[in-house]
Amino acid sequence: MKKQFKIFLLVFVTVIFFVIFYYSLKANNKNNPNIMLNKPLPVIELTSLVNTNLKQELPLINRDKYYLINIWSSWCVPCREEHPILMKLKDKIKIYGINYKDKKTNATSFLNKLGNPFYFTGSDKDGSVSIEIGAYGIPETYVVNSQGLIIFKHVGPLNKKIYLRISEIIK
Amino acid sequence: MASAEREINIYKNIRCLVCQGQSLNDSNSDFAIDLKKVIKKKIINKKSDREIYNYLIERYGDWILFNPPLKINTFLLWGFPLMFALLGGFFIYIKVLIPHSRQ
Repeated sequence: MKKQFKIFLLVFVTVIFFVIFYYSLKANNKNNPNIMLNKPLPVIELTSLVNTNLKQELPLINRDKYYLINIWSSWCVPCREEHPILMKLKDKIKIYGINYKDKKTNATSFLNKLGNPFYFTGSDKDGSVSIEIGAYGIPETYVVNSQGLIIFKHVGPLNKKIYLRISEIIK
Repeated sequence: MASAEREINIYKNIRCLVCQGQSLNDSNSDFAIDLKKVIKKKIINKKSDREIYNYLIERYGDWILFNPPLKINTFLLWGFPLMFALLGGFFIYIKVLIPHSRQ
């Protein structure tokens, strides 16, 4: 009887460990850049890149159905890469740009040369606005709905696949 | 605690998410620099450590902390060592101490 109990205990403990390790290995404890997904966009105030008296508060509630937020900079090579896609998206959705740690002259000449896809461009001189909305780096793109929820987020440059996905979401 | 010391303690407990295994304190990446600035501002605005950590967890998840918080899913992590110590103590008690007391 005592021996049986010992065997039972051993099997029981082994099974418990197995289950715990199995689930722990499967769980993604690591970095999950989608933590802000389906959460409300934190309130941010953008100061216009061209006119510091001009401010724009986000999120906009119940105005446009969807809008897009894109963090970019003139010194960021992948931003240059994704720029044509933003130019294509601008006819479908209002884009709010956050100009990350950039010089005003460089940023404006970037937009003059490659086209301006942004409905409004805010300046983020110290990177604090980007941190406020949970950004990792640039470029980064968010789609926000009329309730102010972040319904899509992409870290890194936009590509054709992401373009199609965003088009599908905002249809 | 002096605020500079407090600041560094917080930086040491925060993972630089875009670096490999570095804390905020070790890193000079843009992400780390920005985050340090934000934290510094919060300390000046008299936010508590807890408030600062919660702010970061909300935006970047638990992974941003090196010290995982005590939650239901981390309960085992914190609870197991204690449980094993108790079990081990109990085992020693049965095996070693009880036979001696009978003599």
